[in-house]
Amino acid sequence: MSDTQKTEKPKKELTKSQMLSKKITEDYMNEAFRAHELGKLIGYTTAISPVEIFVAHDIIPIYPENHAVANLTAKKGAQLCSVTESLGYTSHLCAYARSDLGYRETGITVTRGIPEPDLFLACNAQCFTLTKWFQVLARRGNLPVFVFDTPEYIMDKKAREEIIKYCVIQLKELISFLEEVTKKKFDYDRLNEVMKYSAESSRLYKKFLDMAQYKPSPISIFDALIGMAIAVYRRGTPECVEYYRTLCEEFQEKADKGIGVLPKDKEKYRLYWENLPVWFKFSDHAKLLGSYGGVILTSLYVHAWSFEFDLDKDPLVTLAENYVSRFSNSTLEDRAEMAMDLFKRYSLNGMIMFMNRSCKAVSFAVPTLKDVLVKRTGIPALVFESDMGDQRFYSETQIRTRIEAYFETLDRLQAKVA
Amino acid sequence: MWDNLSLKEVVELTKDPFPSIRKWVKEKGKKVIGSTIPDVPEEVIHAFDFLPVSLIGTDKPLKKAPSRLPDNACSLARSNLELVMSYEGDLFDGFVLPQVCDTTQHLSDIWRIHFPDKYTECFLAPRQVDRPSARYWTKEEIERLISSLSNWTNRKITDDGLNSSIALFNENKKLLKEIYDFKKKNPAALTNKELFSLIKLSMQVDKEEFNKSLKRIKDGLKPQKGEGYTDIVLAGITCDPPEVYALFDEIKLNIVADTLVTGTRYIDGVVAQNGNPVDALVDRHMNRMFFSPIHDNVYRNFEEIKTLYKENNAKAVIYIHIEFCESQEYDLPDLKNMLRKEGIPFHVMDTEYQTLSLSHLRTRLQAFFESLKGGAL
Ligand code: SF4
Ligand code: SF4
Repeated sequence: MSDTQKTEKPKKELTKSQMLSKKITEDYMNEAFRAHELGKLIGYTTAISPVEIFVAHDIIPIYPENHAVANLTAKKGAQLCSVTESLGYTSHLCAYARSDLGYRETGITVTRGIPEPDLFLACNAQCFTLTKWFQVLARRGNLPVFVFDTPEYIMDKKAREEIIKYCVIQLKELISFLEEVTKKKFDYDRLNEVMKYSAESSRLYKKFLDMAQYKPSPISIFDALIGMAIAVYRRGTPECVEYYRTLCEEFQEKADKGIGVLPKDKEKYRLYWENLPVWFKFSDHAKLLGSYGGVILTSLYVHAWSFEFDLDKDPLVTLAENYVSRFSNSTLEDRAEMAMDLFKRYSLNGMIMFMNRSCKAVSFAVPTLKDVLVKRTGIPALVFESDMGDQRFYSETQIRTRIEAYFETLDRLQAKVA
Repeated sequence: MWDNLSLKEVVELTKDPFPSIRKWVKEKGKKVIGSTIPDVPEEVIHAFDFLPVSLIGTDKPLKKAPSRLPDNACSLARSNLELVMSYEGDLFDGFVLPQVCDTTQHLSDIWRIHFPDKYTECFLAPRQVDRPSARYWTKEEIERLISSLSNWTNRKITDDGLNSSIALFNENKKLLKEIYDFKKKNPAALTNKELFSLIKLSMQVDKEEFNKSLKRIKDGLKPQKGEGYTDIVLAGITCDPPEVYALFDEIKLNIVADTLVTGTRYIDGVVAQNGNPVDALVDRHMNRMFFSPIHDNVYRNFEEIKTLYKENNAKAVIYIHIEFCESQEYDLPDLKNMLRKEGIPFHVMDTEYQTLSLSHLRTRLQAFFESLKGGAL
């Protein structure tokens, strides 16, 4: 990849936030690769997991999902997934897991790879796949896995109180588990400090996402997808706060100057995207949509990291409350409510509902969610099925035709209203 | 209605038990609660005077479910959804739906939204079992189910009431176990299909009546060893359609042990009767056999299967894979390797509710056993 980059036109100058992101990521990975030298352990964890506990206990969190995203975005999905399938895994498991297992088999990656794990934390608020995937990895090295089990955050108030209690008990178990593995006492003062950083960076991350309220919007989902990376792997640190402060300043400036992703007179369709992106196509999709005056502003997926930690509460309680209530662990009714909130606050007037074969956890709700949202907003939806990372399940012409037809429908409707 | 059934009638009823359930409900004036599998404490539902019915798919065509659950959802979930959306929904007064994997989590949401006027409760079984919190949470969930049913029906149950439901369900399981044990040694006395039909129907009809049939069937069994049978262990979650068992019968396989939710994992769920019934139900949950979505340890599955294989002197292990069950699919390659290393012949059958090609399964199964006899494995 670096070879092709060399022949490309000169790179644009990096913004301050981009430089910061680069530095934070490099420092983080450098430290991770030297973890054992530094007397630290590597904990693999799920993107949605109470990582604050790891950070407070000096466990370096590594997210195999992030590494998978890099490979899938660079179109390595089909190659890596096929390797995993040759080991007996089926082709319809999540492409993150399949590409990761393929990477472990072949060493193929577009990054420098990720360090090997010492232990695992699987939180099923995100999905059940990750638990199973981590178990596969853990068996290879006979390593410990801690499953943080988050029952669906059902709508009954009393049940919710019970669920939080169960989760708090488990967080205490997690702490004992870490103490046992590291032979080191857990420091609650340190956790309080980590929580302050996490609360502040989450607040700023949400502020950044909410820039989508402006017209024209200075931010598209593609900015959000790039911008969310630090929230995923560095929350709980001061550098994460600094990054989001900088990012907010940059986008606020754009908003103040009226600079949009599309110019104000070209921004016709402010779109909602359901699901994860098609990673190896996301910049192509942005261009294609832009040519129709469409810009995807948001999705519940990017909002999954805009936590609202309450620092007045016991840190374990606010951690439990936040992690268990992510969109991916909420009822369909609550998920529709969360999406409706985005429709209202960002004045959205179109929706693309992606049925992602890889991600059952998010996708199985889509048909019902689509019906609810179409009914409540009166806006038609484009539904398409493909895979976020395995190119073999992606049909370019079919998707292009669907997108074109969708914009024709939106144009017709708009003409009617006019 | 179900108290004097012959084996043949049981097999017939298992194909489609719903017309008889409808008739029974009408005659008795009872109400019905449906549950998908696994692990809903049906004794609690029974104690509230409902008929608990396990939903284990339908062989009728898919019409509506595909618009809610795409084709990469496991066929059991789609089949169950179809069963209630197109065929039997009106029979049920309510549902208690367990959540064990991503599919079941969504399924219970879709279900609730589809039936806004019916009682729908979920049973949030813990998806970990090795830590103290799992026990704590199982108890919370059983108590929540009791209070939910109590709020809905405006009735209360007593420990005695729950204990007598437990006793009735235990009796059912004991009878099934006796028949199973007899069949192990007398493979020609009843077929695999008959045995597993007895278990399946037990999960769907009134036990007070059906236990009488079971007792009569059990008492009428005559020792019949037969010849040329190969003893096997069956592993997996469910095994459907019933024709798969017929296939085993056809090539003279004798199931001597299994790990199915619709098999031994159910029968083994006898609950202790000498203490607090809720605690006893919790104990049962904690002690149940391996179930892929809630146990993180495939070694345990391997050990269980190995023990069943050795203790029963079986000749092979057949694993029933439900197409698109990702829980099984993450476990299978490692499980396969562990069993192969141990020298245990292992064959995976890919099954699907609704669209199963039996001839394909038959050919592969026959080839497996031929190579087994030839010592190629
Ligand atoms: S893409 Fe979906 S299934 Fe895959 S790891 Fe993420 S949440 Fe889980
Ligand atoms: S555990 Fe497997 S078979 Fe059961 S509902 Fe989940 S995916 Fe389907």
